Amino acid sequence: MIEIQDPDVLIAALLDSTTSHVLETMFFSTVIGSAPESESDSNPRLRARLSFSGNPSGEFEVETTRAAAHALAAAFLGIDESEVDAQQAEEVAGELANMACGSALSSLGNVECFRLAKPIVTSAPVGTPMLDGVRRGFLLDSGALRVSLRVDFPPA
Amino acid sequence: MAWDVLIVDDSAVMRQFIRRVAALSGIEVSRYREAGDGFQALAALEAEKANLVLTDLNMPGMDGEEMVRRMRSIEALASIPVIVISTDATASRMNALLALGACGYLQKPFGPEMLLAELQRVMGGPV
Repeated sequence: MIEIQDPDVLIAALLDSTTSHVLETMFFSTVIGSAPESESDSNPRLRARLSFSGNPSGEFEVETTRAAAHALAAAFLGIDESEVDAQQAEEVAGELANMACGSALSSLGNVECFRLAKPIVTSAPVGTPMLDGVRRGFLLDSGALRVSLRVDFPPA
Repeated sequence: MAWDVLIVDDSAVMRQFIRRVAALSGIEVSRYREAGDGFQALAALEAEKANLVLTDLNMPGMDGEEMVRRMRSIEALASIPVIVISTDATASRMNALLALGACGYLQKPFGPEMLLAELQRVMGGPV
């Protein structure tokens, strides 16, 4: 049995597995590789951020390009990308944040209870840093997707 | 049996996803109805019962927990199977929901196979 001492290492591994699982199960999208944990191009971006309360509490954020958000929404809803409107793309990005965060927290162990707030979806100007937390980047057919999770563990 | 299904979720895209997954699971559905919260769901069920309720937990207005509690206190609605769909799969939350009278619990993420398996478990056999 491997004992992981650094919580950030554990959270990063959890984000890798749970985010991939959410994308495959509900978005019918396969992760084809890793993406840099910070943006490297100037494509318009969509971010969905939510806070969670309980034990532990913290914040989670997901970021994609607008194009990737539309592709994910189309896959989620089972419709053609041309049928996806901006509101649907934003709502689906919020659902993705909700599920990826909840899935990671449920897998964290020693989590007694948590409550997820409604995600807030915004356009992110290029160069705006993501939430300060453990970040992971995923490469999808439709573009890059990044997540960041900050967990505020209660003092021991 | 063809199911008359009520989907309760404040997210329109999530309601659409659930319909999609139900169709992919092979469940024969005669009619879908949708509600945005527990109040709307109870009104829809009191107007016309359903065979199955698939509900979210965290919703503005009346949440899924309160909706299940009220359904179980209304004789005409007490026997309708309710499957809760949520991201929160902590043991305490699941046990609380089952104690209130929910019949099943699906954690997001879920796909057609998981929905079908949970429905078969709740109904005690093939559906």
